[in-house]
Amino acid sequence: MENSIDNNAITHDLLPMRFGRWGKIWTFILLLFCAVGAYAYFLQLKNGLVVTDMGDYVSWGIYISNFVFFVAISLVGSLITAVLRLANVHWSTPLTRIAEIIAVSAIIFASLIIIVDMGRPERFLSLLLHGRLQSPIIWDVIVISTYFVLSLLLLYFPLLPDLKILIRVNANSSSRLNKLYRLLGSFWKGNPEQVRLSEKAINIMCITIIPVAFCIHTVTSWLFATTYRPGWDSTNFGGYFISGAFLVGAGAVVVAMFVFRKAYHLEKYITELHFDKMGKVLVMLALLYLYFNINEYLVPAFKMRKPESAHLLDLFAGEFAPLFWFAILVGMLIPIGILLFKKGRKPLPMFVVGVMVVVGAWFKRYLIVTPTLLHPFLPMQDVPEKYHHYFPSWQEWAITMGSLAGTLLVITFLARIFPIIPIQETITEQHEKAV
Amino acid sequence: MNQENNSRREFLLSGLTAAALAAGCSPKKNPFDEYAGNEVKPTGEMVKLLSVDGEVIEMDKAFLKPVPDLPHVSNSEERKGMEGKKFVMVIDLSRCKNVGACKKACNHAHQLNPGQNWIKILEMQEAVHTAPYWEPTTCMHCDEPPCVKVCPVDATFKRQDGIVLIDSDRCIGCRFCMAACPYSSRVFNWEEPILEKEVAAQPYSCETSMPQKKGTVSKCDFCPDMARMGELPHCVSACPNGVFAFGDINEDSVTNGAETWRFSDLIRDKAGYRLMEDLGTKPSVYYLPPANRTFPFESGLEKDSTGAVTPAK
Amino acid sequence: MKRLCNFYPLLFSLCLQLPASFSANAQDSARKSLLVDLSYHSLNNAVVYLSVHAKTKEKGKFVPVGGARFHLYLDKDSAACFAGDALTDTKGAAITFLPPSLQHQWNSAATHTFIAVSGDEGAFNPSRTEASVVKAHLEIDTGQGRTIIAKIVELKNGEWVPVKAVEIKVAIRRSGSDLAVSDKDSYTTDSTGTISAEFHRDGIPGDKNGLLTLVAKVEDNDSYGNLRVEKSEPWGAVLKLADTFDKRSLWAARFKTPIWLLFMEYSIFLSVWSVVIYLVFQIIKIIKAGRLA
Repeated sequence: MENSIDNNAITHDLLPMRFGRWGKIWTFILLLFCAVGAYAYFLQLKNGLVVTDMGDYVSWGIYISNFVFFVAISLVGSLITAVLRLANVHWSTPLTRIAEIIAVSAIIFASLIIIVDMGRPERFLSLLLHGRLQSPIIWDVIVISTYFVLSLLLLYFPLLPDLKILIRVNANSSSRLNKLYRLLGSFWKGNPEQVRLSEKAINIMCITIIPVAFCIHTVTSWLFATTYRPGWDSTNFGGYFISGAFLVGAGAVVVAMFVFRKAYHLEKYITELHFDKMGKVLVMLALLYLYFNINEYLVPAFKMRKPESAHLLDLFAGEFAPLFWFAILVGMLIPIGILLFKKGRKPLPMFVVGVMVVVGAWFKRYLIVTPTLLHPFLPMQDVPEKYHHYFPSWQEWAITMGSLAGTLLVITFLARIFPIIPIQETITEQHEKAV
Repeated sequence: MNQENNSRREFLLSGLTAAALAAGCSPKKNPFDEYAGNEVKPTGEMVKLLSVDGEVIEMDKAFLKPVPDLPHVSNSEERKGMEGKKFVMVIDLSRCKNVGACKKACNHAHQLNPGQNWIKILEMQEAVHTAPYWEPTTCMHCDEPPCVKVCPVDATFKRQDGIVLIDSDRCIGCRFCMAACPYSSRVFNWEEPILEKEVAAQPYSCETSMPQKKGTVSKCDFCPDMARMGELPHCVSACPNGVFAFGDINEDSVTNGAETWRFSDLIRDKAGYRLMEDLGTKPSVYYLPPANRTFPFESGLEKDSTGAVTPAK
Repeated sequence: MKRLCNFYPLLFSLCLQLPASFSANAQDSARKSLLVDLSYHSLNNAVVYLSVHAKTKEKGKFVPVGGARFHLYLDKDSAACFAGDALTDTKGAAITFLPPSLQHQWNSAATHTFIAVSGDEGAFNPSRTEASVVKAHLEIDTGQGRTIIAKIVELKNGEWVPVKAVEIKVAIRRSGSDLAVSDKDSYTTDSTGTISAEFHRDGIPGDKNGLLTLVAKVEDNDSYGNLRVEKSEPWGAVLKLADTFDKRSLWAARFKTPIWLLFMEYSIFLSVWSVVIYLVFQIIKIIKAGRLA
């Protein structure tokens, strides 16, 4: 029958595949970065945070900006999966799993990198035993854990029908992977009752995860906004961070879309239409982020209050100017320019734009954290000269790269064992389209 | 000056005075008044002494020691602080010459590593036409401390005597407090601190802030261990120009060892102020403006402070 | 790591050099001299003690000497007049009291000399310091309209006679120092040996009952040494402690979170996690539904 051939074809196309040569090389490179990062962390544990270039003034460096970056990217799960799903958008269905996998992976490494930044990581349990509910860090710990659990659930529920397919397809093999599939989802029969329960649960999750996603990035922004420092003392920070998060998340999804499409030959499922639509979403988000940026920089620049003026001048025309304008141009303006045109929303330009957005966003997070710390209220005196500047040491770069590689590794691993595009949903949608 | 002598005398007197007042009555009674010396517990062992009028009087042995054996203070008591006191410091900017004795004494007493200055003497000049002056900054021990607000594990805390301390056995090294403090008072132990062996072997005491631990924060602590003994913080005693004055707002009195003032009069008469009052942190350190400076600003430029001094812009 | 490696050899070599310098000093006569301050103190006309303060000049600065041993004597440095031993602490100070054994000798005269002798040990030349004192009483009383009257009398021919032109300071006792009662630093006694000081510290906090300890003191007087007398008066404001400690606030300890914050946090937390728990139950339901089919 036509339908069943379609189903099998779809299934066959979307099954997770073994790694080819490139896959293995990719994984190996990531593992290498992780290993170097782990070694650098070992040095840090042994000697203390002195291995970094941080000092008493720049007491937060790229570990923290990396943390913010990870939390930002993890919001993509709620955007693509939850928001678009609730808006009854159907073209985003193939992208939901990519988004959730990126979200879960990013939130794991957000937690890990924050432990790396701690001076006494072995006292991590103190957060539970002695936690103060007045502290924004405790709020952050609570919301991140909550978001992690919800993201896992949001990855799990839609995975159940696909697990059934995977179990069926691998029925004869008794590999560990198959055992995992059976453990996770052998109870799923696909009967109406289960489908009803699952749909209801997914809807509830989508509704719940949106405010929680807003919470995590707002609370993360409050790690800065609850201080007095110029550049951080802003009521704009919640919206500023969230809009930035949606933008970088969307950019990450675009990059992932392109890569998986190429690697797994998914041109039929991630079509040019998807890129076009994502392009439009990206433009909208970039414009929104640009709006918040203008609010964030133009308004204090108009006033040029004493502590702010030195900080802003540094960003606009001083030490950090090249980085600042790079982040604005590459992270927002040029992508907007490219994506406003239909030609710009083709897969390859979209991929380039996605990379630009992500890279620009990483440097933007760095610009949020470090320059402010170099402009304290009281002059930086009676301290070693080295405290007057900051450039990350090789250990910091290694650990940061390691954490990014780790995130990619988790994404790669999850994509290896689970279908990157929901099989059952694709089948269902194809049928609905045919009808 | 006889600064050290005086402070020793004043402490000693608390015990002796009470005993002297009781002399002839009941020498075993311990009629301490509330202001000082009430921590010294009588041992019950009496010693016979001669009085001015040639009589033999008895006194508890514990009162005879100039530096008393104070009972060990537990962590919960350290977190609570001294009852009835509210410490305050007054820094007279018209006297500061950037001698740096305060820094030296503080760094030595707390065994700080090079580059870790709890006291920073800043070269200040707010605007082109305003006066240049030397401004020593310590921790402000704010009444609404932003650092305490953000600490996730209660490692830094405000006590009832106004002092904000750090528990290095609890600190997780997240450095949120360093980001939150607008006065840049806190320093971090980026590496293993260099300590004398005997000090490193002791258990950590919040009041002495020693021994310092790697990966934790530290800052000026107003020397509560000295205050318990009725002595002044090290910086106050060390300054040759009497820049620092320390005291208790509940007694309305501050002293730099040689001179004592009524605090409210001093601040009012000399137009004292606090740093960054508009931030609402309510600091406990008051500054007297650098009017009628007793030393020209330039005389402090010869001093080389620890690390490079960045000239004011 | 590097710093540590440099530090210890330096410290070690310093330690090696110190005893060498001591013994070298013992041999040559260029030993340092101890500068000794010996003073007499009388408290409330009852307790008497001697204070010894030892310092030395090092590179032009005065440095206190700790661990210096002194023997104190009354009038003559013989064993019968031995008044006690004193060992200076790290700040170079020591105190000693008069033992009852000297009672007779003490009562025999109105003027006495104290002698502090340090021995030939250690890095310093032996020293001998004398301080003489005339027995005196300092009295404190209060007069009309918050004035403080202090009177000094000395023992002369068995009688207590007032002394003229002695400087007396009048203050309020604070913890760690004395606060002068007015802007006048000190007062000089008239022919009746009396001074009258006006109390200009209205409203100054006393203890919880408003009690202040008034102090009259004679400091470093050539004849009388240091005299100090105290009196309690209810002239202070009642000390009201601002009860801000341990209240619920953003900067309080763990269990003192403001109620409004607790309410916000718990409502958000409970509402979200009840959804999570509900979802977990849904999984269980789905598992069960799978068995039925």
